[in-house]
Amino acid sequence: MIELTNVSYTYPHTVQPALHRITLSLEKGRCVMVTGPSGAGKTSLCLAASGILHHEYGGKKEGSVVIDKKNVSEYSSLSDLAQNVGVVFDDPEAQMIFTTVEEEILSALEHRGLTAEVIEDRLSRIMKTTYLEELKDRSPHNLSGGQKQRVALAATLALGNDILILDEPTSELDEHATRRIADILKDLKDQGKTILLIEHKFGHFRGMVDTLIVLENGRITSGGAPDEVLKDDHIRGMILPDFSKVKKNARSVVSGEPVISVQNLTHCYGDVKALSGITLTIRKGEFIAIVGENGSGKTTLVKHFNHLLSPTSGDVIVNGKNTKTCSIAALACDVGLVFQNPDHMFFADTVREEIAYGVKNLNVKNGDAVIDAALRDAGLYESAGLYPRWLSRGERQRLGIACVVAMQPSVIVLDEPTTGLDGYEALLVIDILKNLQENGHTIIIITHNRDIADHCADRIITMESGKIISDTGGA
Amino acid sequence: MAEILQYVHKDTFLHRLHPYTKIVSIIIVCVMCIIATNLVFLTFMVLAILVFAAYSRLLTESLQQLKLILVMSVLFILVTLITMPNGDILGYMIPEGVPVLGGLIPVTSGGLEIGLVLTFRFMILIFAFQLFLISTQPRDLVNAMEKAGLPIDYILMFIIALRFIPTLQIEGQRIHEAQLARGFNPGTGFIGKIRSVAPIAIPLVSNALLRSTVLGLTIDMRGYRTGKKTHVRERVLATRDYTVMSVLTVAGCGFIALVMTQMV
Repeated sequence: MIELTNVSYTYPHTVQPALHRITLSLEKGRCVMVTGPSGAGKTSLCLAASGILHHEYGGKKEGSVVIDKKNVSEYSSLSDLAQNVGVVFDDPEAQMIFTTVEEEILSALEHRGLTAEVIEDRLSRIMKTTYLEELKDRSPHNLSGGQKQRVALAATLALGNDILILDEPTSELDEHATRRIADILKDLKDQGKTILLIEHKFGHFRGMVDTLIVLENGRITSGGAPDEVLKDDHIRGMILPDFSKVKKNARSVVSGEPVISVQNLTHCYGDVKALSGITLTIRKGEFIAIVGENGSGKTTLVKHFNHLLSPTSGDVIVNGKNTKTCSIAALACDVGLVFQNPDHMFFADTVREEIAYGVKNLNVKNGDAVIDAALRDAGLYESAGLYPRWLSRGERQRLGIACVVAMQPSVIVLDEPTTGLDGYEALLVIDILKNLQENGHTIIIITHNRDIADHCADRIITMESGKIISDTGGA
Repeated sequence: MAEILQYVHKDTFLHRLHPYTKIVSIIIVCVMCIIATNLVFLTFMVLAILVFAAYSRLLTESLQQLKLILVMSVLFILVTLITMPNGDILGYMIPEGVPVLGGLIPVTSGGLEIGLVLTFRFMILIFAFQLFLISTQPRDLVNAMEKAGLPIDYILMFIIALRFIPTLQIEGQRIHEAQLARGFNPGTGFIGKIRSVAPIAIPLVSNALLRSTVLGLTIDMRGYRTGKKTHVRERVLATRDYTVMSVLTVAGCGFIALVMTQMV
């Protein structure tokens, strides 16, 4: 259905080709999964295979792309291509134009030249396949990431094409939501759809992938049946990272002095009780993982540590100070918070300036030396002069950590520090965190990745509906 | 969080009206409030719109921007008091007892009246337009605008601008929190305030620009701009639409006639 032959592509104003002599064939009813480190050219490949690159982008293009027996240049426009190919892009928010789920899918159906009866019939079938029936009147900002991703997929399915191209449809999703997407895609494949899937999480899609392709630096470095490809240790480590070798902290920290002590904390958003009766002591030097489903209150809890949220009742004591009496800026010296996807917050012109921002705000002594150290810790010393948004996803995640480390807080909290990263990048992040722990920092991570929690953390706190339901270091 | 100008899904009389009816109604209401200078009548119109909002179970949503409206109202009244003194002097903004400046800026009945008239007109326009947007499904709006002959690109622009207000609000909030955690200092003084905008505004704008690429591709790949379209679940003008339009037209004409005769 899709044939790429010797496709090379260089973006305008750049020298390095984003894609280099890519040859790839996608047969009817098959599923090809493309994986690789961030910045390897996966999104460019997705654009090339869908014909978008040919029609919408400048730059140097070589090779040929044939979609459904027709060369891409024979298609007159994107709308013409859309008669054959459905593409789900990586940002689900940008793929919702209307204000309810049903409208979104219906509008996509209306432009296919179908009769009203067929449209109604297809609408109800698509809503069922993507489990969106109950959400039909919801607006985009009232949907979770996984739900938005399903809407984007549903609107693309509405086009009724046999070829589906998906660019990291699960990158920001938790286990549960990822599994749901994987199930839907499996059903679609069984219905005979041809699927090109760009993904990191091979494990979830293992059952449906016919061909696994590894893309590195714009080149295909390996490809074939998944089991064959995964025999290579390097590729295995990238796709199915092994966290069991991460060294655990040898020292016992149970006797350490408490740095954060939460007493009977309750927090309500309006009428909704997000946290209820949380009591918790975190000691100096601990490495804690907080796990739990979406909406269980993990992020709400950690936002109390630096007073981004105030307790509805109860107290949070950080380094002997009650957070109620401190400003957020004052607490930034004690608790550093790295948000999920910190790359959306960068604003400076260089990596160095980005780190310097927090350092200046807090008047940290020996600012320059501290910034150098943070750059080195995060493995970004060579990139200090680059524009933050040019970095790869993994580098940006590390920059987010460096920004907080440079402020020298005793406690560092990270919300989903490994989401969207490949195996090696995730391990690198964990390594950095382990080193920080060695240097006396207390590390708290929120994670969906059970492997990371089990192998890297000294203590695992599990949350459910605003309560702590288990705590392996329970004091 | 307050969702500015977003469609609220409910099943009420107002929601069932055809977008055309609502547009015609808004035009009539606008004309009426611009012609009217009678404070009692304008107050009546504001109340009537709010009663109608309550009837459509949209009162809370309608009053979301009340704070902004009140601030604007105070500004309107201040400006007219200062720039358009007229009629009886009711008092002075700076009490007469104050040395040197005492007795400056008189509060006049004429100035106050003009200020109040402007305020009420402003309220009527905002409330009516807001009520229209939050009770009309965007797809109905698109259909109506298409039928009215507006080019699809402009319609999409309008719809997308509305749709992304809450997204930007939420994202702005998230960026603000992230920068606060990095010791962001909201800044003092005029220059400080301007400088402190950068850490929030730059990421917000960069993210939005990045998003616009995907948005553009999505619009094309879904064929929204091809112009061919099967209309399903279309709203047709029903008896209630004709009734509402007739009643409002009669009321509007009657009102204009009344004003004309009074003028003569």
